[in-house]
Amino acid sequence: MSITKERFAQGMSFQQYLDQMTRNRERLEENYNTVQLSDEQLAFFKDLPQPLNVVVIAEDWCGDVINNLPVLARLAEASGKLNLSIFLRDQNHDLMNQYLKDGQHMSIPVFVFFDQSFNELGHFIERPEEISRLQGEYLAKLFATDPAFAGVEPGASPATLPDAARNRMMQAFGEFRAQHREQSDREVVRELHELLDRGLSQARGQ
Amino acid sequence: MSDAPTLVRVRIVYCAACGYEPQALELARALMYEFTYGLEAIEIIPWAEGTFDVAVDGELVHAMLRDGSFPANQKIIDAVRQRLNR
Repeated sequence: MSITKERFAQGMSFQQYLDQMTRNRERLEENYNTVQLSDEQLAFFKDLPQPLNVVVIAEDWCGDVINNLPVLARLAEASGKLNLSIFLRDQNHDLMNQYLKDGQHMSIPVFVFFDQSFNELGHFIERPEEISRLQGEYLAKLFATDPAFAGVEPGASPATLPDAARNRMMQAFGEFRAQHREQSDREVVRELHELLDRGLSQARGQ
Repeated sequence: MSDAPTLVRVRIVYCAACGYEPQALELARALMYEFTYGLEAIEIIPWAEGTFDVAVDGELVHAMLRDGSFPANQKIIDAVRQRLNR
């Protein structure tokens, strides 16, 4: 991504983002207030050689934003090394179109990290890979064992599922989140740590 | 013996966590104008996981993860017409 200092300055602070939310603010704030960050997790971010600029693309209706933006916001607050600038996806397609998931999906949140000169160091899209993998396993087990899925082909589209199976699957998304919330937060921090470690190493080598 | 016409049911499942409401509504609008009374129902179901799938009488005619992106309205219109002509 290329972004100028002036364009970066057009984004919102975390507080401004909260203030313009029209839904899900309580859920996002609850997640923010309950993120657990250990000293060990924070150390890398506190020790960053210089503050970084972070473009965030978000919308208030998105579950992955509600889950994962609070983790980044807490990292920013606790480390003092991440300057967040938050943009709404549907009003900033010039930014969003540079970070389509698999080249086609406007998945959010997107976190893009830049150094002081606005050279990109790395980016994060939607949710940690490990959480996507675990969720896939969770749903596969559901298809294999839950009576609501009897006779249903594994991986069937929700458009062809019987009502009972579809409702059970939607319920399972909530159960998965409740059971994996802490692990998900840890994975967000770990992935951000890894991508910045890699990006900073590459920048030093140039 | 009944001579009632065969009606078609369309189910649109869209990712509400991705903001795909406009595309779901646009497809529903196109089907309503094209077929009016030929449709038994259009179900619009909020989902997650990047989904935009369409089934016509239980047969999957478009899946975003399989086919990529959103379906052209004409693709779904053709599938409904084919079903009506059976």
